Amino acid sequence: MRPAIAQYYPGDSVIHRLDARAKFVSVTAVAVALFLRDSFAGLAVFAVAAAVAYMLSGVPAVWFWRGFRPLLWLIALTFLTQLLFAPGEPFFSWWVFDFSWQGLRFASFLSLRLLVLVLAGSVLTLTTAPLALTDGLAWLGRPLRRLRVPTDELALMVTIALRFIPTLLVELEQIMRAQRARGADFSHGGPIRRGKALLPVLIPLFVLSFRRADELALAMEARCYRPGVVRSRLHPLHVDAADAVLLALTAAVIAVGLIV
Amino acid sequence: MSATDGMSLRCEGLGFSYEEAGVPIPALRDVGVELPAGRSLALLGASGSGKSTLLQLIKGLDAPETGRVVLDGCAPDSPGYAGLQREVGIVFQAPELQLFATSAWEDVAFGPRRLGREEAEVRRAVDEAMALVGLPPEEFAARHPYALSGGEQRRLALAGVLAMQPRLLLLDEPFVSLDPATRRQLTAVCSRLRASGVTLVLATHDVDIAWTLCDDLLVLEEGRVLASGVWDAEGSGRALRSTPRLREPFLVALWRRLGRDPARAPRTHAEAAEALR
Repeated sequence: MRPAIAQYYPGDSVIHRLDARAKFVSVTAVAVALFLRDSFAGLAVFAVAAAVAYMLSGVPAVWFWRGFRPLLWLIALTFLTQLLFAPGEPFFSWWVFDFSWQGLRFASFLSLRLLVLVLAGSVLTLTTAPLALTDGLAWLGRPLRRLRVPTDELALMVTIALRFIPTLLVELEQIMRAQRARGADFSHGGPIRRGKALLPVLIPLFVLSFRRADELALAMEARCYRPGVVRSRLHPLHVDAADAVLLALTAAVIAVGLIV
Repeated sequence: MSATDGMSLRCEGLGFSYEEAGVPIPALRDVGVELPAGRSLALLGASGSGKSTLLQLIKGLDAPETGRVVLDGCAPDSPGYAGLQREVGIVFQAPELQLFATSAWEDVAFGPRRLGREEAEVRRAVDEAMALVGLPPEEFAARHPYALSGGEQRRLALAGVLAMQPRLLLLDEPFVSLDPATRRQLTAVCSRLRASGVTLVLATHDVDIAWTLCDDLLVLEEGRVLASGVWDAEGSGRALRSTPRLREPFLVALWRRLGRDPARAPRTHAEAAEALR
């Protein structure tokens, strides 16, 4: 059991070594450009760029597929609604629905755009350790601190949440075993019965999580954690020539993608 | 507590491993043990030696990779096996973490209700189990489980398993982080269960309590059996002396120090006082 989002594939490729901030800026810029451009030619440029980045990262293709599979429904739904409701000359009609070449073209375009978006996003999340990503986001959010947005604290919250997901999964497993030993049955019956069967698991899990949160807060205070104080980092973020190359390449890809 | 027919247990060549990052890490290797009905077994070994894994295999929460668990002479493929498995009770480490109902009584009733018992029978079993662990229902039935003290929660969770009237009871570290009074109460509950005929397997680091409660011994080291059989201080019990991370029961060590025969060391403080008087 591994959360489908924000998976990290450890590695030492060119893409892995890039700075989290540079990668984040680059992917965000490409995502924005994707939505500014509505031609297949532009889409193809971004698709090639994202695919090349993915191949350079050395992450097996099946990892992309694993993250992409849950989104297939969303894309299928987008495709269908566009196909059925986009205006255009119908070449085929059935009941209240009209199928047109324009609709088909538009639906394919939107679906492909989503695919490229997810591909670019997975290059970022698959090659950047969650800690580096949150650190990078905190750094990028720093200007917001002038508006009294507690960016460092938010980043720490995200880090702690990510850190405790595996711990809670282990505890969930233990509680489920204990309740199964007492005769609980999680795998039979309809959705309502199964939902009810989860109650003996969820209540202890919540109680445990709150207790843990309390203890963690105390332990952090005992080790002199103060909100609002600038903290040092074990692995400081660090920008080098490769990151400059990445940003220059991104600018070039976006320029080409917007012009062709 | 009414008398119970204990269940006999035989483990044959049990093997099991966990997987970490795709690499199997063996937890049990060729573990065998024979425990006649109504006897009690101390399961001893350093942390990580495989005690908890063995208990989970006996209860059937995990399937062994090799070997099998025979209950009351029935092999896993025989028709009555699932029914026998339901008569095996297991109390996990820190079982207070599994309490969930809004009253103590309801929490204890969860197990017997899941077994499909009649309501009158459930009521009798719950009242009896609560009384046995020292939480009389007239005082504790309506209390909220999370409003109880840590020791009371531990005993309530034990009652939740006892109410299912197990014939074989597996206890995983029941004495950890308890104050001396609760520890004494829990030890007393165990010896009452033993006297009533329930077969008992006690996995613990507390070798002194195990010595007063258990007839037999199984010492595990890195998933292998180091010693097993009737717990005789000079026989199977010798393994405890030779293993750096374990020790002998205090009373056995004392008898050795006094120059007396450790094979005849007393089991309880009362017996020791009698012998030394």
